[in-house]
Amino acid sequence: MSFKFGRVMAAGAAVAVAMIAGVAVAHEHMGPVPDTPAGKAAAARHQNFKQLGGAFKALVDQVKTDAPDKAVISANADKMNALAAQAPAWFPKDSGVESGVKTDAKPEIWSDPQGFAAAVAKLQAATVKLQQVSAAGDMAAIRAQVQATGGACKNCHDKYRVPEKH
Amino acid sequence: MQDGSDAPVVRARLWDGPTRIVHWALVGAIGFAWWAGETHHMDWHRLAGYTVLGLIVFRLLWGFLGSGTARFASFVKGPAQTLAYIRTLPSRDHAAHAGHNPLGALSVLAILAALVVQVVSGLFAVDVDGLESGPLSDRVDFDTGRLFAKCHHLSFSALQALVVLHLVAIVFYAVYKRADLVGPMVTGRGRFRNHPEIDFAPLWRAFLVAAVAIVLAWWTAKGLRL
Repeated sequence: MSFKFGRVMAAGAAVAVAMIAGVAVAHEHMGPVPDTPAGKAAAARHQNFKQLGGAFKALVDQVKTDAPDKAVISANADKMNALAAQAPAWFPKDSGVESGVKTDAKPEIWSDPQGFAAAVAKLQAATVKLQQVSAAGDMAAIRAQVQATGGACKNCHDKYRVPEKH
Repeated sequence: MQDGSDAPVVRARLWDGPTRIVHWALVGAIGFAWWAGETHHMDWHRLAGYTVLGLIVFRLLWGFLGSGTARFASFVKGPAQTLAYIRTLPSRDHAAHAGHNPLGALSVLAILAALVVQVVSGLFAVDVDGLESGPLSDRVDFDTGRLFAKCHHLSFSALQALVVLHLVAIVFYAVYKRADLVGPMVTGRGRFRNHPEIDFAPLWRAFLVAAVAIVLAWWTAKGLRL
């Protein structure tokens, strides 16, 4: 029995390790960044969105707890708003897939500049308000604005970001 | 089920109630979680995930404490016995195994392993926006949470492949070997040439194990906080 128990657990662990290793290898999907203006722009964009997502996660982590740290919420809302304000500059012309870089930014960003600008403006409006309600510290208002901000992320991702491959 | 031989056929209990309930509940919960995930109903997706977590905890414990056919020790075999069983596959004469055969045992272990990876990766996963996440994702940073999300997608593909294999095997046994595997998983009873002497676990033990599984799933949903 103990021999079989060990075998069962070893098989399970082996499968789990293989899967996680596979994902870890697949994770660096940006690959080596080409040393071109387009490559640098795409890599910087990727890092900036990671910063934005990371700040949002840190804020949401607090909102989910029983005793949210409002200073952390406010600091991350500030960070998100500052990043969102810069977002239009993350999409220079010729930094899409047609320039040969690996990016999830769809060509529609540049072929539909007005629609894209409206989507970014929606994010900026959301983070401005998120910053305000976070500074004020009313948790109900913060929760509502978290949802609105998430909606602004999704709104733009649905139209202008290549869907995640499953 | 047509046995094909003139051996006497006995109808006897094969799977206990808890094993069958967990099996079909997993089918339902995984199907629902898939739909909820694809349609971005993330509150429902998480709820389905906690259900799967509870069911998996129960099934793993039941593999040590449950009835004869539910125990890992009764159906997990070494390479020699597995190879010996594989050699009997071309034969259309189905010598009914009382429960999982040595090859099916590997399928059970693979599905359970995939489900463990699926549930654990979901607990730590973070979506691309940083808005939706599993209940333990506050323990990891954004990048790690995204890594768990990718693992969550990958292990679901593995799970889908394993389910397809499971269904193909059921069709193979039904058509080629004329053995009904689905019926016993519904009714708990199967037909055998000789009475399979299976010892069944008492119901109180199932309730005890279920209580442990429910408490663990509930506490995990709450972020494992005291």
